[in-house]
Amino acid sequence: MNLYEHEGKALLRTHDIRTPNGVLMSHAEDIETALRMIGGKKAVLKAQLLSGKRAASGAIAFVETQEETARIFSSWQAKGWTQVLLEERVETRRELYVSCLYEAVRGIPLLLIGEEGGSGIESKGNIQRFAIDPRDPAVSVKKIAAELAGISPQLPTACEKIVALFFEEDAEQVEINPLAEGADGSLIALDAKISLDTSAQGRHPVWSEYPHRSALGQASTDREREAECIDTGAQAHRGNAGTFFEMDGDVATLFSGGGASLVNMDAMARHGLRAANYAEYSGNPPKEKVAALARLALSKPGLRGALIVGGIANFTDIKETLSGIADALDELKPAYPIVVRRSGPNEQEGLALLRACAERNALRMELFGKETPMENAIRRLKTLML
Amino acid sequence: MSIFLNKKTTVLVQGATGKEGLRAIASMRAYHTRVACGVTPGKAGQTAENVPVFDTVRQAIGAFPEISATALYIPPSAAKAAMLEAIEAGIPLIAVMTEKIPLRDTAYCLAAAVERGVRILGPGSLGCLVPGIGRLGVIGGPLVEDIYVPGSIGVISRSGGMTNELSWLVRRAGLGQSAAVHVGGDLLIGTAYAELLRLFEEDDATKAVVLYAEQGANYEREVAEILARREFTKPLAIHVGGAFAASMPEGSVVGHAGAIVAAGQSAADKSTALREAGALIAERFDDLVELVQDSARL
Repeated sequence: MNLYEHEGKALLRTHDIRTPNGVLMSHAEDIETALRMIGGKKAVLKAQLLSGKRAASGAIAFVETQEETARIFSSWQAKGWTQVLLEERVETRRELYVSCLYEAVRGIPLLLIGEEGGSGIESKGNIQRFAIDPRDPAVSVKKIAAELAGISPQLPTACEKIVALFFEEDAEQVEINPLAEGADGSLIALDAKISLDTSAQGRHPVWSEYPHRSALGQASTDREREAECIDTGAQAHRGNAGTFFEMDGDVATLFSGGGASLVNMDAMARHGLRAANYAEYSGNPPKEKVAALARLALSKPGLRGALIVGGIANFTDIKETLSGIADALDELKPAYPIVVRRSGPNEQEGLALLRACAERNALRMELFGKETPMENAIRRLKTLML
Repeated sequence: MSIFLNKKTTVLVQGATGKEGLRAIASMRAYHTRVACGVTPGKAGQTAENVPVFDTVRQAIGAFPEISATALYIPPSAAKAAMLEAIEAGIPLIAVMTEKIPLRDTAYCLAAAVERGVRILGPGSLGCLVPGIGRLGVIGGPLVEDIYVPGSIGVISRSGGMTNELSWLVRRAGLGQSAAVHVGGDLLIGTAYAELLRLFEEDDATKAVVLYAEQGANYEREVAEILARREFTKPLAIHVGGAFAASMPEGSVVGHAGAIVAAGQSAADKSTALREAGALIAERFDDLVELVQDSARL
């Protein structure tokens, strides 16, 4: 889960890492108070967006007066940039880059330090990499303290705190760019890009207080918010059926398994079909979960077709999961064509059950097993949609 | 010498008395595999699918010193302790089937495993299967005999369901598999493609390998490197799923946890690098086997 800058900075402060004074604003009336709270100093406005490269997209502005602040704030509101962080401008003499993340290939956490931070870091290169032993991160940082101090005197302490935050908060990545050095040598985090490992949600109950956000890094749609509830509650541990986000096409999808969902999304694009959503269930979820996901995916207005496709399941019960989809179809009775391709445990029973559902509701549905490649199901739907 | 499993492989199941553990014991025993015993703390003296259950890994090894692999079906919150127990006991192959283990715990255990010199497959793996020899885990499920038959194509997949789908493509082409391995979908995994390719290079039964990879976490860079160094010389066909994700914002996660949209890790970037290194790139998943089948039939 990616955190907004203001959320990331709040987390930095709980670990005693300095950030500029700032106020999060969501209404024009907040401006006057916000400016007063930062002591009437020159300010910087930062739209709270999850996408990177905010400087390039005009989502950061330096302001001198209240009028200027109000003008920019209202133009951002018009763009849908509703949350704006107003911060005091900080005098700095140098900008560093600091990041802590997992390197997939060696399976170890890395601390990355760049002596020239700021925007465009990707092209500046010259980033030093230090391996951190996940079994004793504090000792790893102590071992490189002299090298870090050679870059900036207070960097060893800052890195100790950043690395501690990375592990204690179960982050996937903590990136501070820039970590600015003031005239007195003190370090202050001017930005914060933190992403949390949702697998560790169980040991961080406080994370449930973060507002919902889409997997696409935008504010969630109503249906996406509903989907987030599917994998919670008493059935939480039984399979997954809550991966769902909406797109702007007209073909509903219900895919089984992460791999099949990617391969089929790619194949849809090749065949010119545009997905209305990305929905995936896996790990043998109970039919109630699948039904909840199917209701969301299949009920979006404006659909022209639906694909219910998966690879050959290892242990996901096809009868159980397809009966969940049948429950949703019994309620929705959609008029658009539906193509199903499923295989795995109890596939005959599952396909028969769905066929009966199609007959009693007079649905335009075609069903296939493993003899039909997944891509053929997509071709078939394309024909039916003509 | 086959990949990971042979006729003598003796398996321990950790988390033996849970629903998934029981299903795995039954699946393995139904497919040529010797499961010696299980471990569930507090359940010593019970049986699970007719195999004895112990409280600890150490006790299990005391009773069955021939244990050479373990399969973990442990809830994520207890997985770290169970993995460390297996690592400390020195079991050479530790297949971690648990999904959604926190990265911090995985990283800790991977570091411990490297130090102890044992191999972790997964986390989030379904295991591996050698046709006619056995399976560690539930790959193939009840359709295992329909999909798997001894042959010359090695199968590696980032996705559990696609392990079967890819093996089925092999079978439909009239060929069989030398082994099928699901590496798991997490960002951090103990055994990735390059390491497996080195094993397939040594494996006499394998004439070619097909690999289903995904955009995100760049394990393919290592593949390109070993191809360039000629450490893998057999025909290798790769499909990288998730091309559609290139249009999504950086940081999005699609498919598996490791499939994070990031610069330089798109399906197109990976395919280009792999092609330059000499891999055969399948633009469509369905073309994977076609690219290597001629060499496999020799």
